[in-house]
Amino acid sequence: MGTTASQLSKESLSEYQELTFLTKQEILLAHKRFTELLEKHEKDQIDARVPMGKIITLPELKSNPFKERICRVFSTSEQKDGSLTFEDFLDLLSAFSDSATLEIKSHYAFRIFDFDDDGTLDCADLEKLVNCLTGETNDAKLSSTEMKQLISNILEESDIDKDGTVNLSEFQHVISRSPDFVSSFKIVL
Amino acid sequence: MEAHESVDFMRLMSEESTVSTLSSDSCEYYQTEIFDLLPSIQASRPEQNRHDFSEETNQGGREAREKSGQLSRGPRDKTSMQPLRNLAMCIQGKRGAKERRKLEVNDINFWESWRKSQSTNRKRVREQIKEALSGLVPWEHTLRTIEGKFGVGVKSYFVFLRYLIYLNLLHCVLIGGFIVGPSIFYRSDKYEPLSYNENDSALNFFLGTGYVNRSLVFYGFYTRGSLDLKCLNTPLLYLAGIFSIIFLSLILVVRRTTVGYKHTWMLGKRYSMNVSYKIFCGWDFTIQDPTAAALKHGFIRNDLKLFLEEQSFSLRAAQRTLREKVRLYLLRIILNLIAISLLGGAFYLIYFATQTSLKKGNSQPHWLVSLLFQYLPPITITFVNLVLPHIFRKISSFEDYSFTMQVNVTLLRSIFLKLASLGIYLFFVFTTTEQDAKCKENQFGREMYKLSIFNFLATFFSVFFFNYPRKLVQETYPRSLLARISGKQRFLIPFNVLDLVYSQTVSWVGVYYCPLLPVIGIVSLVVTFYVKKFSVMRCCVPEQRMFRGSSSSVLFHFMLLLGLFMCAATLGFNHYPLQSTEGRNASSCGPFRNEQTMFNVTGDCVKSLPSPAQTTIRYLTSEAFALPLILAEIIFLTSYVSRRRANQRAIERLKDMLVMSSSDKRFLVKQHATMLRQRNKQH
Repeated sequence: MGTTASQLSKESLSEYQELTFLTKQEILLAHKRFTELLEKHEKDQIDARVPMGKIITLPELKSNPFKERICRVFSTSEQKDGSLTFEDFLDLLSAFSDSATLEIKSHYAFRIFDFDDDGTLDCADLEKLVNCLTGETNDAKLSSTEMKQLISNILEESDIDKDGTVNLSEFQHVISRSPDFVSSFKIVL
Repeated sequence: MEAHESVDFMRLMSEESTVSTLSSDSCEYYQTEIFDLLPSIQASRPEQNRHDFSEETNQGGREAREKSGQLSRGPRDKTSMQPLRNLAMCIQGKRGAKERRKLEVNDINFWESWRKSQSTNRKRVREQIKEALSGLVPWEHTLRTIEGKFGVGVKSYFVFLRYLIYLNLLHCVLIGGFIVGPSIFYRSDKYEPLSYNENDSALNFFLGTGYVNRSLVFYGFYTRGSLDLKCLNTPLLYLAGIFSIIFLSLILVVRRTTVGYKHTWMLGKRYSMNVSYKIFCGWDFTIQDPTAAALKHGFIRNDLKLFLEEQSFSLRAAQRTLREKVRLYLLRIILNLIAISLLGGAFYLIYFATQTSLKKGNSQPHWLVSLLFQYLPPITITFVNLVLPHIFRKISSFEDYSFTMQVNVTLLRSIFLKLASLGIYLFFVFTTTEQDAKCKENQFGREMYKLSIFNFLATFFSVFFFNYPRKLVQETYPRSLLARISGKQRFLIPFNVLDLVYSQTVSWVGVYYCPLLPVIGIVSLVVTFYVKKFSVMRCCVPEQRMFRGSSSSVLFHFMLLLGLFMCAATLGFNHYPLQSTEGRNASSCGPFRNEQTMFNVTGDCVKSLPSPAQTTIRYLTSEAFALPLILAEIIFLTSYVSRRRANQRAIERLKDMLVMSSSDKRFLVKQHATMLRQRNKQH
């Protein structure tokens, strides 16, 4: 334990503290958990990547229906494979931490729900989102007419400028009026 | 089909645009090249684009940098003030931003780091304390298991039960402080000490007679003791205790009701975001346990299905033809008539039972028969309240209402039944007890005592002698006729809540005559908690359709409020004649004996005060004060209402403007895209 903690230099630790919402202890714990996921020979490399398949086995993410989306959103990988470096991992934890602002949380929630990464939640995104929420198996899914009705309801409520999609500011408008979003959008190691 | 379209008219705008995404996706504006360059999109996606931009600018030189600066100037002005960690971008991007801000790379000094970690620690400690306190709250774990298995609705019943226990605890504290404590401490010696006579028996505890009648359970015990100052005597304290109970309950219940009301109904239909909440804030990211996740999936699915079902029901209701409507309304009128006649019959039954009980109750030779006659009114009331709500439920299922509406109609009828039957019973007790005026208040308190005891016994026995055997029969002989007829048991939240409201109302009504009712209430509520928990966990299957948690709790508290009003009305009704015909009605026991009433006790107190205080109190209770008060309230309310209207209008206008400008944007972007395409073709 002591050895993994010493791997983070003091400068990078203070830099991470400045750039994320995490405390020193949280960063050290994150580093420990992250290095456990790395292969032996990678442990010394700073920008080593952990593949998505391994990240989503973390107990904090395992039963989350959005686990793959979360990895993809926070990944800076060129191949878009959802693999995370340690810094990406810190980004993830920072956004899901206790002290992150509603602004940040809702921003990342929007990006997680935006399955095709086009900057708006359109009908296809909403359909995928609803499927994630109800469960993906065939008997759990809503029927197609139910889905259509539901999506038109969502759009009618939250698509304020009536362009057929929910954009970020409309999304944040909805989120800001929900009292328990901040407490439920949270992953703590 | 036509009707369907006209109903859907409101949604035409959005539907049209969703269709267009499918048909002409090449031309949809958010897939055009320029879309990513729009300032609003830049602001919402700072990470990817800003990052790309910064790289671009490094390569492309000053001009591009200038351009990008102009494009996203608005958001950058805003973001340049924020601390770096508030930017929604990856750490690499934040480093870039830091350099761009030309901030010196001064690492956080010791002091700052310490301060930051301290503030986080404080937050942590606060949260831990909160968690530890919530661990101290009784039954938190039980509630969570129940919620996981049966949904929010059933949990809301148990939360309500716990709330009532708190409320009764508060009552107990008030009673102990204002009524029981002073009375026992300053009890004058001329009254005989409380003793157990030889002709007292255990039966007295059920009937509230004999020993119990003489004890501190009832009104008659609280005589005027040695504490006999003008403004500090036991009668006054008694009054203060009762009024503070009623007043505090009123405040607490009203507060709970309005909090819920604000969330559910005040927002109005046009501003409601119910479905969007369910979707966007539906998932709880803290869930780690796979079974909890599966439960959450199931819960969200059921909730959405219930919502959709109700919506399609209202669509179907809007499509009914005139003939169907006439038939339906006829049916509803007939069913309502049936319900009213059932209510009438129930009231007559209660009247009959009360009369019989009062005539024959005390003149029976055998104690068991006597007990039965004494308990006849509570038995009748509980029986009626047990059977009729189920009939109402059956009736409302024929009336073709939506699911929530069915529940609400049944609830409305049942609450009317419960409170009205209690009211009628009280009225009969009032009007018929006058001839036997040894201690009228005690007798009245005794009726309330019997009601609450029997109510508790009914819950207890209905679980252990009805629900549990039924479940056992189903388990041991699953194929027998009996098991198939009885079917699966569900936990009917509305009826169970009604029972709670009813017993609380009895407790409030009776507390003046039987001050220890809240203590009995606490005991019976705690036992009820465990009995009901057993019944839910052991005998019931989860509901397929989820009962709405949020709106229902408003309804629960509203019913409680009705009960409280009933209590206030009873007290008022009971004391008004005291003032008008004093000689006839002066009571012979309790704190207000010997020509004392609650009015002249307070009057004596006021007279003993110094004269400025007297005049102030006179002024505060006179019409001269009430009128300005009402006027001031009216002015406040009017100003709030008009402000609300103005805000609403502003919101409407802003919404319209938003729609207009967004459609302009869409038009321009599309135009630009087609022009670009044409130019590309020409080249």
